[in-house]
Amino acid sequence: MSFDFSVITQNAPLLWQGFLITVYYTVITIVAGMIIGLVVGLIQLTPYRLLAWLGRVYVEFFRNIPLLVILLWTYYALPIFMGLNITKGWAGFVALSCYVGAFYAEILRAGVQSIEPGQTDAATAIGMSYSQRMRRIILPQAFRRMVPPLAGQSIIQMKNTTLLSIITVPDLLYQASYISSFTYRPMEIYTAIGIIYVVVLTPLTLLARRLEKRGGLSL
Amino acid sequence: MKREGSETVLALEGIHKRFGDRPVLRGIDLTVKAGEVVVLIGASGSGKTSLLRCINLLNIPDQGRITIAGEPIFDVEEGGRDRLKLPPRQVNRIRAKTGMVFQQFNLFPHMTALGNVIEGPVIVQGIDRAAAEKRGCELLDQMGLADHRHKHPAQLSGGQQQRVAIARALAMNPAVMLFDEPTSALDPELVGEVLKAMLALARSGMTMVVVTHELGFAFEIADRVVFLDEGIVVADGAPKDVLLKPEHPRLKAFVGRFHETADMLRPFLEAAQR
Repeated sequence: MSFDFSVITQNAPLLWQGFLITVYYTVITIVAGMIIGLVVGLIQLTPYRLLAWLGRVYVEFFRNIPLLVILLWTYYALPIFMGLNITKGWAGFVALSCYVGAFYAEILRAGVQSIEPGQTDAATAIGMSYSQRMRRIILPQAFRRMVPPLAGQSIIQMKNTTLLSIITVPDLLYQASYISSFTYRPMEIYTAIGIIYVVVLTPLTLLARRLEKRGGLSL
Repeated sequence: MKREGSETVLALEGIHKRFGDRPVLRGIDLTVKAGEVVVLIGASGSGKTSLLRCINLLNIPDQGRITIAGEPIFDVEEGGRDRLKLPPRQVNRIRAKTGMVFQQFNLFPHMTALGNVIEGPVIVQGIDRAAAEKRGCELLDQMGLADHRHKHPAQLSGGQQQRVAIARALAMNPAVMLFDEPTSALDPELVGEVLKAMLALARSGMTMVVVTHELGFAFEIADRVVFLDEGIVVADGAPKDVLLKPEHPRLKAFVGRFHETADMLRPFLEAAQR
């Protein structure tokens, strides 16, 4: 069997469309996930037990259910239970954002808790309120420590968008299976998809490494 | 150093605190007058650090009354009923009347020395940045750190960091300064510079409560020495009475151990004098 990569060049426009969809969902779910992560992470850190507990429940719920199940459930079951009609785009966006948000929340919580208690003491002693302490003293230090795990989780997020193809969102993987369905050349096409992911994500990994080094030095 | 008849800056009454099942403070009364330097001594576990942290409510006592510069900040009776019910804003405001210096310095590592010093005035007191910087520079100069304003804590020695921490606390214009074993984490050769800065501060009339293991320094700086044992004030008086003529057996043993250490150094001191 020999590889025939002409199927790639012939279907480049479809792959390009898929690529844009993948990037689009990666970016918007990371942004939404960060907002969710910030809120849920901070909720988990509040002295209010009930709130903290709710944050904990959220995290454990989305962290321990396979993403594929969440995705299918959001798209097929949510409309039945809630009686609302949800497009596949919205279902994908909601499921992926909530899922990655749970992981970001944990990264935030761990980052904040890794800051020495002496920092809170010192900030409290000069009369800072809880929000001043968080904003000025704790979070700036925690964010630096959070860069490597945030980068790691975001890279995983880009790869997780491939699951969108299951609910027929036309991302890169969906286009790949579509192209192979009429060209009968799955090997070439999936190889190409793999290469695209490597080419996009490797520079991002290297960038995260550089940020990690910088963060380490300044502390 | 002592100012007769001056006003009370700090009043603690019947402070109780337990951690889990273990009582660490069992009814402490302590009054500090303006300009007075009170040194708290005691074996580790005697409750002296807990007491200091109760003053600005970094540790919340279980019961007792605390008044700082005439304003009650804490008043909880036996059984836990809070008679004040102060909103957190008020607690933060009154708490800022105390300045605290920690054993581990606890400088903010992401800010310069000057940034550390102006953080409280700018963020908490809302003072104009330029004015805060001017005052911050003065305080750092006073601490002998004029050349280190724009360095980060990681670039400073322990002694320098601790002096930045003192400047940071002073920047809030506190009514009383609280020192929690400020030299315990320092290399021996750096202890002197911090003690010197504290002595200068005491001589300038600052009201201070100091937890320390340096009994020689306590003797030098204190107007009053308070000895804590198992969460109770066992002795409270002039340094020469408490440290040189200890009466309570636990205090005698504690001071005795200090003399033993001093004795071990004697051959070294004598050799140096020869």
